[in-house]
Order: sequence, then structure tokens, then C-alpha cells
Amino acid sequence: MYLQHASAITRITLIPLLLALALASGCSSMVARATGNLSDSLSRAVLNQNDPETVRQGAPTFLLMLDGFINDDPDNQALLLSGSRLYGAYASAFVDNEERQRRLANKAFHYGRRAVCVSHNDFCAVIDKPFVTFKEHVTDFNTGDVPLLFGFASAWATWIQANSDDWNATIQLPKVAALMDRVIELDETYNHGNAHLYMGVLTTQLPPEYGGKPEVGRQHFERANELSAGHNLMVNVLFAKYYARLVFNQELHDKLLNEVLASNTEAPELTLSNVLAQQQARELLEDSHDFF
Amino acid sequence: MIFSSRMRGNPGLILTICAALLLTLSAAVDAITLKVATLAPEGTSWMKQMRKGASEISEKTDGRVKIKFYPGGVMGNTSTVLQKMRVGQLQGGAFTGASLSQVYPDAQLYSLPMVFHSHEEVAYVRQRMDDTLIKGLADKGMVVLGISDGGFAYIMCKKPLRRLGDLKGQKVWMPEGDVLTEAMFESAGVSPIPLPVADVYTGLQTGLLDTVAGVPTGIVAFQWYTSVTHLTDVPLMFLSGMFAVDSKAFKRIKPGDQKIVRKVMGRIFKDLDAVNRADNESARSALQSQGIEFVHPNRAERDNWESIAKQGRERMVSRAKYTPALVDRMLGYIREYRTQQQ
Repeated sequence: MYLQHASAITRITLIPLLLALALASGCSSMVARATGNLSDSLSRAVLNQNDPETVRQGAPTFLLMLDGFINDDPDNQALLLSGSRLYGAYASAFVDNEERQRRLANKAFHYGRRAVCVSHNDFCAVIDKPFVTFKEHVTDFNTGDVPLLFGFASAWATWIQANSDDWNATIQLPKVAALMDRVIELDETYNHGNAHLYMGVLTTQLPPEYGGKPEVGRQHFERANELSAGHNLMVNVLFAKYYARLVFNQELHDKLLNEVLASNTEAPELTLSNVLAQQQARELLEDSHDFF
Repeated sequence: MIFSSRMRGNPGLILTICAALLLTLSAAVDAITLKVATLAPEGTSWMKQMRKGASEISEKTDGRVKIKFYPGGVMGNTSTVLQKMRVGQLQGGAFTGASLSQVYPDAQLYSLPMVFHSHEEVAYVRQRMDDTLIKGLADKGMVVLGISDGGFAYIMCKKPLRRLGDLKGQKVWMPEGDVLTEAMFESAGVSPIPLPVADVYTGLQTGLLDTVAGVPTGIVAFQWYTSVTHLTDVPLMFLSGMFAVDSKAFKRIKPGDQKIVRKVMGRIFKDLDAVNRADNESARSALQSQGIEFVHPNRAERDNWESIAKQGRERMVSRAKYTPALVDRMLGYIREYRTQQQ
């Protein structure tokens, strides 16, 4: 009949897309332009940090600093994009309180939107328009825009995730997917191939019964693994959480997560994300017996 | 072999083993895990609420009753799930009223097209008729632990459908095997195209279809709205969800625990009514925010739609194997409610 079960999706649960997704590139050099080598070194130190708690406690200072820079230079695209990435990453990785998460994700989204609007007026005008109109302007972005495009799309995904109980947010997911698809078209290797990771999560939300295509998701996860040369442990965590759970494959689920736990977390610009990935892998494994 | 020869020579041992087996069996009665399948995907309100209910039941029965869910259709479609329930591989399922009509045709009584105008009318009828449906399913060996609103389905199209005549020439989807939808559109002079839900999105994109119907949350979740432009704002049919457990399995639960299961799941499904209604409202507003135009046929046109549904009703009642007396009773309650409101 007319789908009342699936119809009741209140929340397409995008996992908190972790700090590394947002931080891993671009940001350090952009902030550096404004704040010199200190900021550049700080960003790298954050990404290479193996103690998440240190970042949790230290990041707000950095966020406030960025707010200050943006206040002084409100149309500086590089600063806006950095602000968007940092707020998005912090909100999704380190904030548990839902209201705070929404507030910070909102800031991330609006900084990202402002960054895009600095250089892409036509696209800026269709962000809220129906999907068909929106989609026509996705090709406004070219190879040189990939950091901007990826930064904005990931901030948008974080905003949707923080507002996932609201259908007005959920309904915007196809727009994020269209942007991530464009990133893949232009440069799939950008940011360790993380656009594939986003697409993996986005395409494993629905079972095949309702038109979902889990195998497409699987291909995205596998490609993300290839592009990060297996160093990005978050790929297998999300592969297990979304794909393996959707197709109810416990063997694959547990295998992927055990591999994550057995892996070395140290990798340039991925250490923090990998430490968080292992934490999440442990939680998912603990819940494996109950779920399957 | 060694064991069997020894056992033959030792009746005491056999008795001990039998006693041990009996103990094991009675332990199985004390603690039971109900395996429940559903097409509802993980992350939906249905799953969240049912999981919440299951954990409350486990807690209140000190772990004697556990419910294990198989979401998102991983156990197969409704027919497969019902078959697995018959052979004891599964003990229950969360179904649509329509899909349970395979077991008991009147399970989809509330889905007769265009009989309800509002949720208030549905609530009035459900208050008076849910028990009849629960009894009907009990007679077929199903214990219904909860019934919940799934919302109203609406027609969406790539052009505005104001008049019934606008439907002519449209490529209208019908869920495969859905005799109600088929009968209704036939009455309107349209031959709908049967397709599984899984193929609708592609069907809309390729132009095989241009007209679909669904509840607002479904239309958003399956992203059908990305290929249509208008929603005709007339409730087409009401949908319901039911949580049913095989009665043989249910009887294995201790009477005191049965009460707990019924009470908790009954409440959870009542809560779902409100949650689903709010979700559908939110999804409607989301559709509007994304530029979907809501078409409001005038009174005369609305009467036209309803009269077509009415003309086809007899055909639907016989094709869907409804009990005519129950249909009359439901229509009587609706009339009664409308009179009270005047």
C-alpha cells in the first residue's frame, strides 16, 4: 500500500560526520592567511591530536577567534569557509546537547552559505528554490571551487543532521547529495575522497524495498577506502553502521569494525578522526548482538 | 550409539534427562524472544517507538519477554513474513493494514478510498471499530498489540490535477497487487500502471509515471517530490499500521507478562498516532517549502472525486473481499459524526 511504514521516517540519521571530514583540508592555509603561521600550526596540531578531549576543551577558543576575524572582515570567503568547517566539525563531533548542536550547526551552515554567496551569485539565489531549479546550477562550480563546494555541502549535511527531526531539514538531503556528486565529478580525491564517504552514508538510508540502492552506497564506501589508502578509519565505521546494518550483514559489520580496532590510528591529518572512529567502532560492536 | 545403548540400560538416566528437558522447556516458556519483522526502515518513528516499547517490556518482565526486530524488509515481503510466522521462524510483524488483508480482508477497512475527510473522523470511527478488527485478526490466529495512524495518502503529479478529468491520459502508479487503488482509478476511467514501490522513483524520473500517491512523509523520504510539482490536497485514503504476533507464540508468554506486553505496546501505538500525525504535517510543510504547489479542488470538483469513489465502492468491496456489513457500519459512523458536527 501507500508506504505508511517508511513514510514515518522522522529522522534520517546521518552520523555525526567527524572533525576530520570538515577540517582535513583547506582550513589551515586559509586561516594562516589571516593569522599567520600560528593558526596553520594549530590546525595541524588539532588534526594530528590523539586525545579528543584536549580538542574538545581547546576548540571553543579557536572558534571565538574565528568569529572575531570574520566580524572584522565579513566578506572574506576563506575565513567564512574556515568558520563553517570548524563550527560544523565541532558541533557534530564534540557536542552532545541537541540544542547546542543545532545552534552551532546553524552557524556552520550560515557561514558556509555566506562563503558560497561571495563568489557564486546565481547559485546563491537558488539555494532555497525547488530541487529542479537548484540542480541546474550545480554545474556553476568548477574544479577550482571544490574546497568551497565540499565545505558548504558538508556544513549543510551537518545542519540537516542536527535538525533531523524536522522534515523541512530532511527534505534538503537531495541537494547535499547533488553537491557531493559534483565534487566527485570535479575531483573525487579531494579531502581523502570524503565526498564518497558522504555519498556512501546518503545512499544507504533506505532499504531496497523503498527504492534504496545499498550497493551504490557500498561502492562509495569502497572508493573512499581506496582514495584514503585505508588510512581513514571512519570509512569502515560508517560502512558498517550504514551499509552492513541496512542489509543486515552482521559478519561484515563485525569484521569491518574489528579491522578498525586493530588498525593504527596515526596518520597525517587523520589521527584525531581515527581515534574517534575507534571509539565509535567499540560502541557499535557492543550493540551488534542486540541489533542483529 | 554409545549414549543410546547406555540409556536403554538405565531407565533412571532417561528419566533424569526427560526431567531436565522438561525443565528446559518450562524455562523456555518463562523467557521468550519474539522475533518481529517489518518493512519499516531503521530510524523511522515506527522503529524508534517499537524499540522503546520492547526495552520497556524487557525491563518490566525482568527480561522474560524480549522482542528482536528485523527492520527494513530484511526478512522479505509481507507474504514471506507471514509464511515465516506460520512455520515459527518469526513470531510477529509490524504490517500495514493493507498487507494484513491477506490474512483478514477487513484489516484494510479504513483504507477504502475517499471515505474520510479528516483525522477527527478517523478517530471517531477507530474508537468504535478497532476492537472489531482486532477480534477479526484474533480469529485468524493473530494477536494485535497495536494499531496506529499512518496518515492520509495524497495524489501528486507533474501538472495540477484540479478536475477528475485532468487524470485522463496521466500515467498513474498503483502499488503492485493493490486491488483498491486499481478499482478506484478504473472508476475514474484510468488504467493505472502496477509497479513495486522500489521502482517508483526511477519510474518518475524516466517518465514511465507522472502521477503517484503517498503519505507526505513517504513522498519526502523516497524523494518522489523531486520529480513532481503539484499535490492535490484531498485525502485519497487513510493508512494504518498494525503490530501483530502469532497467537501460539503469544500464549507461551506467562499471563501476567502478556498483560504487560499488551499494555506497553498499546500505549506505544497510541503515542505513534500523534507522532505520525505531526510527522505528516511537518512533511507537508516541507513539501510546500520546496516549491510543491498544493492544488485545492473546489467543492463541486471534490464532490465529483468522491462520487467516483462511491460509484466504484461496490466493486472495491467485493474485489477487496470486505465484509459489506462492516463497511456499512463504518460509513454509518462517519455520517453520524458529520451530523453531530453540523
